[in-house]
Amino acid sequence: MFTCKQVSNALSKEDYEKMPPLRRFFLRLHVKLCVFCGKYNRQVMDSQDMCRCYKEYEMTSEETFVQYRPEMEPAKKDQLKELLASQSK
Amino acid sequence: MPDKPEPKVPVTPPEQWVDKYGDYLYGFAMSRLRNPDAANDCVQDTFLAGIKALERFDGSRDIKFWLRGIMRNKIVDQIRKSIKENKVDIEAEDEALLESFWFKYSGIATTNPDPWQFNPRKSYDNGEFWIVFEKCIAQVKDPAREAFVLRVLEDQTTEEVCKAMDITPNYLWVLLHRAREQLKFLLEASWTGENVK
Repeated sequence: MFTCKQVSNALSKEDYEKMPPLRRFFLRLHVKLCVFCGKYNRQVMDSQDMCRCYKEYEMTSEETFVQYRPEMEPAKKDQLKELLASQSK
Repeated sequence: MPDKPEPKVPVTPPEQWVDKYGDYLYGFAMSRLRNPDAANDCVQDTFLAGIKALERFDGSRDIKFWLRGIMRNKIVDQIRKSIKENKVDIEAEDEALLESFWFKYSGIATTNPDPWQFNPRKSYDNGEFWIVFEKCIAQVKDPAREAFVLRVLEDQTTEEVCKAMDITPNYLWVLLHRAREQLKFLLEASWTGENVK
């Protein structure tokens, strides 16, 4: 079984979804039952979940983001085009 | 020597990269860097590295995603460069947290954090939520945002981030704690439309 400090250390270094199943099981068990670190580390795990889902969504649904993200300035594009044309000759 | 296999997807020539992928890659870089000059440099470095490495492109996926893969390394380089120019100092408040009983005993900041004002999981299928999430990340203050981008979004190891930022693993933990705190506050305010604190 983990101590609170071991759980916190593990969560600060690893994404709990990528941990081996047994390690993940005991870590989740500790977080579920612990009155000291449970609430805090539950939120750390939720934050990891959220970021993982964001990255998955970003990779699979890029069209959602494209319309909201800023575009490159036309002048910068022209400069870059010239540079690439000279480099790719 | 065997011939190079035919690419499965058509390869766009570099002269067309700016028109086809310039905006996409620039937007991607801005989501991580939020600095237009750094994002422009990043796109340029990506395209130049792409031209040099084009012979190694195997054509198994769209070249856009191959360029995005190169860009992720360039983003990390840009953040490292920015950190070198603005050295990270430990704030007094953060120093107190590192010295606190709870941190030393259990590795956490508090036993009783405020609960979420809404359940974010219910919004994970909603594209608008991720747009708001991205805007909130951009509002997190540096150096917490830089630590968060490197460690969480760009999957750098704790050791790599500590080396890049010249900080201890404990202080990285504090920065990530600050980033999560701010992100939660910003998301609650933006997504529920209320300033809850």
